[in-house]
Amino acid sequence: MAIPLPAYVARRRQDWDALQALLARQRAGTLKLDELRTLDTLYRRASADLAHAQTFYPGTDAHRFLNQLCGQAYAAIYQPPRERWPAVRDFFRREFPATLRRERGFVGASAALFLLGIVLGAVVVLWEPRGAELLVPSGVRHYVAQGRMWTDDILSVAPPNSVASGIATNNLTVTIVTFALGLTFGLGTLFLMVNNGVHIGAITALCAREGMVGGLLDFIAAHGPVELSILVIAGGAGLMVGQALIDPGELPRGQALALRGREAVKLVLGCAPFLALIGVVEGYVSPGDLFPTWVKAGLGFALGALFWGYLLRAGRTDAEAAGMPADRAS
Amino acid sequence: MRTAPTPHLDVATPERVALTLPVAGIGYRCLAWLVDASLLFFFWLVAYFVFTLLVSDVLGVLQGLSGVAQTLMVVGFFATQWLYWTVSEVLFHGQTVGKRALGIRVVRLDGAPVSVYESAVRNLCRAVDFLPMLYATACVSMLLTRQHRRLGDLLAGTLLVREERIDLDKYTAAPEATAPVPSAAGARPLTPEDVELVLSFLSRAPGLAPDVRRRLGARLVERVGPPDAESLAAVLASAESTEAFLRARVQGAR
Repeated sequence: MAIPLPAYVARRRQDWDALQALLARQRAGTLKLDELRTLDTLYRRASADLAHAQTFYPGTDAHRFLNQLCGQAYAAIYQPPRERWPAVRDFFRREFPATLRRERGFVGASAALFLLGIVLGAVVVLWEPRGAELLVPSGVRHYVAQGRMWTDDILSVAPPNSVASGIATNNLTVTIVTFALGLTFGLGTLFLMVNNGVHIGAITALCAREGMVGGLLDFIAAHGPVELSILVIAGGAGLMVGQALIDPGELPRGQALALRGREAVKLVLGCAPFLALIGVVEGYVSPGDLFPTWVKAGLGFALGALFWGYLLRAGRTDAEAAGMPADRAS
Repeated sequence: MRTAPTPHLDVATPERVALTLPVAGIGYRCLAWLVDASLLFFFWLVAYFVFTLLVSDVLGVLQGLSGVAQTLMVVGFFATQWLYWTVSEVLFHGQTVGKRALGIRVVRLDGAPVSVYESAVRNLCRAVDFLPMLYATACVSMLLTRQHRRLGDLLAGTLLVREERIDLDKYTAAPEATAPVPSAAGARPLTPEDVELVLSFLSRAPGLAPDVRRRLGARLVERVGPPDAESLAAVLASAESTEAFLRARVQGAR
């Protein structure tokens, strides 16, 4: 027969209070090594007390208290390994490129969708010039009609809604939304990839009709290769999420989603510093006549080659180099 | 009487004890978000006012910035919004300021604290959860899932658990040294439900109206009280004697 609850609480409470105090110190990061051993002992005792309370005093406040106390101690003791700077270095040196190579199918599909969009947009505008009214934003059309690049004004002070910050906002939003819309069974990502492609294709075709393709190339040459690559990678991450929802494989849908979501976000997080870097190039190098076109094109080509060289070569293992399909199976 | 079962997260620990963590519902989450959002709002408000105090021509300065500065500013603005959630969740054991104020925290499905990846995923998904406005998508998702998870939580494999403040003092509060109370020899042993009931009455008693206090005390004495009539009359003489008896009764075995 169990002893009455108040007597039980009075007898055991000292240990629980001690455990609570130790947990508070653990959270503050001032725990010493011998205290850690005490914490472990006290946690095991509290676990035993919880089991006791579950049997003899279910539904009481003492039971709830022990449940919560053990929950906090459990979270403090069984922590996942903490990510520190070496982990960040390892992530960029090995894990991010390796993840990208492993999921190259999704990135490829995303690139294909994007190219499809470009071709569609370009064909429509070349075929039927009035299609441009539908596909190209009116502001851009206005500039093109005057025979000027809409990007010429970026460095001037005239419009407060500056294109540069607009583009930076746009890049960031588009990258995040492209990834997150994978939750709509990949449909949102699919739409965004094609839609972005159509826009770029249509604008290029419009510029080509007006004989301004040189100006357009001048603007996008420096940052275009890397920026569009990042967009495609984010699209690939979104497609991964969508695929996990549609075809979770042998796992329940919720588990598959969590598992694939973790992989997919690596692609997005890995792109973040490159997105910031290319934002600088886009804001500083691309607009204006500060640099001649061939410098911009050379820079863009070099950055793109470096980016993809890094993605395809960094942290390559021998098994991957030999072309073993081991990664795909996992 | 039991209320409808609240959603919870079951965790099996290596110590072979099952933990049952209560899940935070939509109300807690909205309130926590309101706290965080107003905090961010006031931060930017103060930053703006400080800026306007230092610089008279705000629009001119913003336009005078070069492209790179404007770009960095916009990127920095977005980063702070996203970093605020992720950094506080990773560094402060799954709690932002608002979550701490409401006593809820983000955990993984196995009850462990969130790591960088999970926190990054669930906060990147705010962009979609917010659509079309004011977290409408997230609210629908929280209503439809059993453990009140929004889309970002589903993708990251996380959820929010609630922490309650439970006071153990009521179990160990010392009885006031008054006149000796009649012993309850021969009465049945109390069940944990009786103890819980009496203790919750004792902790609430000082705030009750006098006649309610006496009536409830009398009913509890009836339930757990002494079997013989004259000690029953002594116990029921005043509210103080009733409560002293009840306290001695539940703590009797010490």
